[in-house]
Amino acid sequence: MLEMRRKECIAMLLAGGQGSRLKVLTEHTAKPAVPFGGKYRIIDFPLSNCVNSGIDTVGILTQYQPLELNDYIGNGQSWGLNRNFGGAHILPPYAKSKKSEWYKGTANAIYQNMHFIDLFHPEYVLVLSGDHIYKMDYSKMLDYHKEKNSECTIAVLDVPLREASRFGIMNTKEDGSIYEFEEKPEHPKSTKASMGIYIFNWDILKQYLIEDEKNAGSSNDFGKNIIPNLLADHRNLFAYSFSGYWKDVGTIESLWEANMDLLNPEVPFQIKDPNFKIYARNYAQPSTFVFSASEVHNSLIAEGCNIYGKIEHSIISTGCRIARNATVTDSVIMGNTVIEEGAVVQYAIIGENCVIHKNVRIGASPEETEKGWGISVVGAGKEVEEGKIINANEII
Amino acid sequence: MKAIGIIFSNIYDATMGDLTKHRTMASLPFGGRYRQIDFVLSNMVNSNIARIGVITKYNYQSLMDHLGSCSEWDLNRKNGGLYILPPYGTGHTSIYRGKLEALYGAVTFLEKANEDYVVMSDSTVLCNINFEKVLTAHIKSGADVTVIANHEKPESSRDRQDLVLKTEDNKVVDLTVNDEYDESVFCGMGMFVIERKMLLKAIYDSVAHGLFHFEKDYLQRQFLAHRITINVYPFERTVLRNRDVSTYFRNNRLLMYQEVRKDIFREDAPIYTKVRDEVPTFYGEDAVVNNCLIADGCTINGTVENSILFRDVTIEKGAVVKDSIVMQSSCICEGADIYYTILDKEVLITPGRTLMGSEATPLIINKEERV
Repeated sequence: MLEMRRKECIAMLLAGGQGSRLKVLTEHTAKPAVPFGGKYRIIDFPLSNCVNSGIDTVGILTQYQPLELNDYIGNGQSWGLNRNFGGAHILPPYAKSKKSEWYKGTANAIYQNMHFIDLFHPEYVLVLSGDHIYKMDYSKMLDYHKEKNSECTIAVLDVPLREASRFGIMNTKEDGSIYEFEEKPEHPKSTKASMGIYIFNWDILKQYLIEDEKNAGSSNDFGKNIIPNLLADHRNLFAYSFSGYWKDVGTIESLWEANMDLLNPEVPFQIKDPNFKIYARNYAQPSTFVFSASEVHNSLIAEGCNIYGKIEHSIISTGCRIARNATVTDSVIMGNTVIEEGAVVQYAIIGENCVIHKNVRIGASPEETEKGWGISVVGAGKEVEEGKIINANEII
Repeated sequence: MKAIGIIFSNIYDATMGDLTKHRTMASLPFGGRYRQIDFVLSNMVNSNIARIGVITKYNYQSLMDHLGSCSEWDLNRKNGGLYILPPYGTGHTSIYRGKLEALYGAVTFLEKANEDYVVMSDSTVLCNINFEKVLTAHIKSGADVTVIANHEKPESSRDRQDLVLKTEDNKVVDLTVNDEYDESVFCGMGMFVIERKMLLKAIYDSVAHGLFHFEKDYLQRQFLAHRITINVYPFERTVLRNRDVSTYFRNNRLLMYQEVRKDIFREDAPIYTKVRDEVPTFYGEDAVVNNCLIADGCTINGTVENSILFRDVTIEKGAVVKDSIVMQSSCICEGADIYYTILDKEVLITPGRTLMGSEATPLIINKEERV
């Protein structure tokens, strides 16, 4: 046989999830396309991680509300993933000659794209999700995978014992090999939580995907089916310990917290790192203008903003306008939103392209709220009429 | 569009002192995140000009680095796109003396194009203009050459390069170079529209006669001899002419005015520039920022007033920056004060230093210097 042009490792990014716990924020967009940190979207993190790890071929599996995500990824140029061989590929479910179906589960999504993976004849496949904010050099995990002669390596994070029952927990031997996997165990035996990042030997994974597909009762899920099946067959599974910042941004609170973490010098997450940049789609926006009567403290402000008001401990995304006498505190304002004069926004997430009219009050601090405090959320594209009050924990 | 674009990158380099020591006028940083060429290049792209030649002379490495594959301007195309035209050194011309000689080095580019018209522009006159409208007006006028011009307040500077056009009943009646002007006449913006074949003929004729200056040797001579007709396209929005250090300094700071920003940065015609993937700018606990234009990737813990910060600038706690321009990746350390100063890229102002220029002659600190 002729030598084939091949990629050693390609990534498959599961980006089809709805992220329903993000409520209005994912009403018209897939969770990986949710804005983060002033100029990013959640998917920028795994994509940039891939590029910074030397992985230049990424299949992005989309399903729920893919339009915005597809448009955002484009030809992958923003991440340097516009390649002749490899690069970024959007992979929606498609009609086949015998049957057509949606992605039934995480494993089924990969199963349906086996032909895509085979185009690159990879030795290894990295499976990722688009739900987390973290920086990770996957090449180190791949080195570990090879060194351990592993067939499936799962990245794990040491979590506090009291929180371990919220995660999929890997029970390992001293050499790091996994002997048991427990999904959200009531009495966790270890604190090694799965991060949903897997490296498989492609030949092994392919075989298990095909087997799993034959089982009509399977949920075709990595955590529920593929990993347990591999363990049952005593395959070589290893846990790769990751230490560093990793945050699930699946809920309103966690999304808000992760944004606020960017402002906290005590959180070990340096988004500004010339050796490990997070890439994002850039829109041609001029510099931000900060007016003389404004006040800005402890905040991140992206480009193309006009700041006339007062901003404290907040994230202001690209293209926003904060008018005179408007106050934004402890909040995340997503792109191209206007906050008019006299409006007060605190402990809130305001979606993209919103207009918050004069003297609107959104959110409240936990101290001022008697019960049921929570982050207030305004969905993308909404207009909040003059003088309206949106309470803490209210979502519109 | 039926036109190609030609951009001159090096005209008037000598007027900018050390700021253009290691770069072309075209790649001189402006307005927080741009290079001068971004404005005319974006104008051309936004006017659907898809084949653009950039004429260079020397020092064009920084320009090449800035333009890269031109994907930021959507000029990475199969047909057309961006052409860097370095001096073409055979026989008579290698380093050119004027635009006509410079164009002589670009005749292959001009000959090979199919488009009927050429839009030519300097890179130092900054505005947001739609060349499609100019071309339509040019064709309608029936004139041989259209000069884009505006009414400009007289400058005290003696170094005037502009073409001055006197009109009566919308007809050009006189055309001068290096002349005094006031707001009653039109001041050329270094932007011209001409038929491609006519331009080629002008280039060959002029070079054959040892002539090289487009404005004086071609436009003025031919016009005064009644051999060509000239049309003025009046441009009414903001025009920023970066003639020398003091106008450059003033024009940068004019961007603090909302009306100016509105004219230059239009949502329907954005100005594109090289993407650097910087993070949003961080404003610390002690940041005091008044009336400033701030690019991304900066870290601000000190006081900044009436200034422009380019990308990745650090202002440490207790540092004071007033009426200054701070270019990319420079750092002003704790307790340092700078007033009326232009810091080129990657300058370090050590703790406690004070630098003071003046409005008319700002202090310039060269690239990578440590003060």
